[in-house]
Amino acid sequence: MIIAALIGVPIPGTNLFTLPTLSLPDWIAGIRIGGPVTSERLLSTLGEVMIIVGVVALFAGATSLASPHRSIRALPFAFYQLGLILTIATSIFPQLVASIKRIHEARRLRGQKGGGLRNWRKIAMPLLEDALERSLDLSAAMESRGFGQRIKRTTYRPDSWGVFEYSIVSSALISGATATLWADTWLEMAISGGLAGLVSLLPLTKKENIAEVTSLQSSGVAS
Amino acid sequence: MISFRKVSLIYPNSKTTVFDDVTFEVSEGEFVLLIGATGMGKSSALKLMNGLVPHHTGGILGGDIQVSGISTRTVRPGELAHLIGIVGQNPIHGFVTDIVEEEIAFAMESLAIDESAMRKRVEEVLDLLALTPLRRRTIASLSGGEQQRVAIAAALVMNPRILLLDEPTSALDPVAAEEVLAILQRIVHDLGVTVVVAEHRLERVIHYAERVIYIASDGTVRVGSPEEVMRSAEIAPPIVELARALGWEEMPLSVRDARRISAKKVDISDPSTLATKNPAPIAESVATGENLVEVKRASLGYASRRVIKEITCTIAAGEIVALMGRNGSGKSTLLKSMAGLVEVISGEVTLAGRDPKTLSGRELVELIGYVPQEPSDLLYGQSVEEECALADHDNGLQPGTTLNLARRLLPEINATTHPRDLSEGQRLILVLAIVLTTSPKLLILDEPTRGLDYQSKERLISILQERAAMGSSAVLLATHDVELVAELAQRVLFIADGELVSDGDVRDVLTASLPFAPQVTKIFAPSKWLTVGEVVDALQK
Repeated sequence: MIIAALIGVPIPGTNLFTLPTLSLPDWIAGIRIGGPVTSERLLSTLGEVMIIVGVVALFAGATSLASPHRSIRALPFAFYQLGLILTIATSIFPQLVASIKRIHEARRLRGQKGGGLRNWRKIAMPLLEDALERSLDLSAAMESRGFGQRIKRTTYRPDSWGVFEYSIVSSALISGATATLWADTWLEMAISGGLAGLVSLLPLTKKENIAEVTSLQSSGVAS
Repeated sequence: MISFRKVSLIYPNSKTTVFDDVTFEVSEGEFVLLIGATGMGKSSALKLMNGLVPHHTGGILGGDIQVSGISTRTVRPGELAHLIGIVGQNPIHGFVTDIVEEEIAFAMESLAIDESAMRKRVEEVLDLLALTPLRRRTIASLSGGEQQRVAIAAALVMNPRILLLDEPTSALDPVAAEEVLAILQRIVHDLGVTVVVAEHRLERVIHYAERVIYIASDGTVRVGSPEEVMRSAEIAPPIVELARALGWEEMPLSVRDARRISAKKVDISDPSTLATKNPAPIAESVATGENLVEVKRASLGYASRRVIKEITCTIAAGEIVALMGRNGSGKSTLLKSMAGLVEVISGEVTLAGRDPKTLSGRELVELIGYVPQEPSDLLYGQSVEEECALADHDNGLQPGTTLNLARRLLPEINATTHPRDLSEGQRLILVLAIVLTTSPKLLILDEPTRGLDYQSKERLISILQERAAMGSSAVLLATHDVELVAELAQRVLFIADGELVSDGDVRDVLTASLPFAPQVTKIFAPSKWLTVGEVVDALQK
C-alpha cells in the first residue's frame, strides 16, 4: 500500500501531503514516484490491496480444502478437461521447485558463483528443458492410457460433497451476493470480496485440513 | 500379435533414419527382450508399437505396423489403450494423479468404465502386483521399485494383450529389479500377456526372455532365441562373455546353466584349475596416498529425519571406491555432503582437510568433480562447443582445453551437436570431460551407468581407471551396477538404511552378499572370482 501510494498514476483530489518527486525519463510518462498523496489515491490503493488479499485468500482456502487432484473429482464433467489441465499445471510446480534446487546444486558443482540476471540463462535453460521433457512424457503417458478417448468419463470412488463443502460454497455465494447488492462502487465491492475471502479462510482452522496441505506440500518437495 | 513390415522411420529435422526396412513379428504370449546399443532406437521401437511414434512425436513412417490386426497408422495411441499398456523410461514423469489407487484407475476413468467394474479391476491388479498395502499412499512417497510397480499396475489394469516396458530395471537396485522382473514373468505365464522389454542390463533379464530382438549398430534387426542372438551379438552379459572366452559350445544364459556347464568343463579336483587358485584381495594391491575425504561419525539430512546415521569412513588418493546399497539407503546424501550440498547435523565431513561448505568456485572444482544423477543438469550450452567454451571460461583455462579433452574421451563427438541430442552415454562422457578439465582431486559419480550400454561402460571404466592410476586423485561412485563395481572398484562401502554396513575389499564385500554378487562370482562360488578377465587369466596361467 505504501509502495502504491508512492508510485503510480496521480489521482487528483484532496491533498493530504506532498512527497518529493523523482524525475523519470520520458518513456515512462504517466508514472511518477513521489508527488502529492491524495485521500482518493489512498482509498483506491486500499481497494487494490483488498482485491489482492481476496484473491490470495480464496486460493489458499481452495487448496486447503483438498488436493487439486481431489477437487477436480468434485467438479462436474463439463469442467473436467479444464480441471485436468489445471491439475497438471499445479502438479508441475512442486516438480519445478525440486528441479530448481537440483540445478542450483549443479551450478555450485560447476564452480559458478553468484546469481543475478546475467546467470538467469544458466538456470532457465536446463529448467525449461527439464519441464518440457516432463510435460512431453506426461502427455505421452496420458495419451497412451486413453485420455480424451471418450467425452464422458467415469470416476473411481466419487468424492461426494459433504456439509463442510456445501457450507464453504454457500458462504462464498452469500458474500458474493451481498457484495453485488450492497456495493455501489467497485471499491466497496472489492472490500467485501476481500472479506469474503477471509471468511473462506476459516476452514483452515480445521486441523486435518492444515495437516493435509502441509503433508501434500512436503511430499511434493520430497519428490 | 505385433508385426513390423518393411518399417522405416525418420524423425523430423533429422538426416538419418532410425529404422530402415525392418521386418519382424512377435507372437502372442511371448516374453520378448529388445536389445541394442544406446541411440539405436529401442525406445522408438516400443513407441512405434503403440503408435506414440509417429502420432505423438512426429516423423515419417514407412511400411506398416499391425498390432492384433490394427494398423497403428490409422489409429491414435489412445484407441489402443485397451490393447497395449506402456511403461516409460521414467515412470514418475508419467503419473497423472497423486494416490496409488487413483493412478491405477486413471485409464479406466478415461475410457468411461463403470464404477463397479473399475473397483474390481483395481483390486485384482493391486493383488497381482502386491500393492495392496500401498493403495492409499501418495506416489511421491514410494521407493523406485514401488513406483515402477504402480506404473506397471496402471498399464495392466485395462487387461491389455501387450505390455511394453522401457528399461524397467535401470534405476533399480538388484533386489527391486528382481521383484519387478519376477512380476513380469508371472504376467506372461499366468495371464498370457505379450511382454516386450527394452533393457541394457542383459545380466538381469536375458534368462527371462523367450525371444530377443537385436538392433545391431549397423541398424539391422535380428530376431531369434536368446541363445542364437547371444552367440554373435556385440553386446553380451558377463555370463555370455565367459562362455565365449572359454569356448563353450553351449550358450548359458542363467547362472544355473553356467554352473552346470562349468562343472563339466572345469574339473574342480584338478589342482591346476580355478578352485585351488584363490584370487588375491584387490584393495591391498593399490598404492594409496593421503586421505582426501574423512567422514567422522557424521549424521546427515534433517534434524527430524536423519538420512545418514553416524557414518565413519575415509577415501584416500589413488583409490576407486564404490558406494552401494538399496534405493533410498542414503547414497546420494552421503555423496552430496562431500560437496557441501547437505547439512551435517553432527560429526564432521572434511575434504582435503577443509569443510566442503566453505569451498566455492575455483577452489571447489579443483578439489571435487561431481557428476550428478542427472548429468544434463550441468549442461546449459546450445552445442558441445559452446558448452566446452563455457567450462574453459568458468575455470579460467586456455580456450579449447575442455573440447580437446572431450575429443580425446569421445573421438566421434560432433562439436556442433546440441548436448540434449547426444546419446545418454555420450552426454555422460561430455559432462565427465567438463568436470575433469580442472583435474579435481576427488571425482564423484552418482549412478553413472543408468541407461549406458556395454560399450559406453567400458569406455567409462578405462577413463576412471586412468584417473585413479595417476595416484593423486580418487574416484567415488554410487551405483546399483554390480558388474561395474566388480570391474572397476577396489573397495566397497555398503550402506543400508543410512548406516554403514560394510567397508572392505571389493572381493570380500561382493562375494559375501548374494543379491549384490556379480555373475562370475555366482558361477564359481565358493571361489572368489569377480570378472571374466580374472577367470580367463587364471586359467591361462
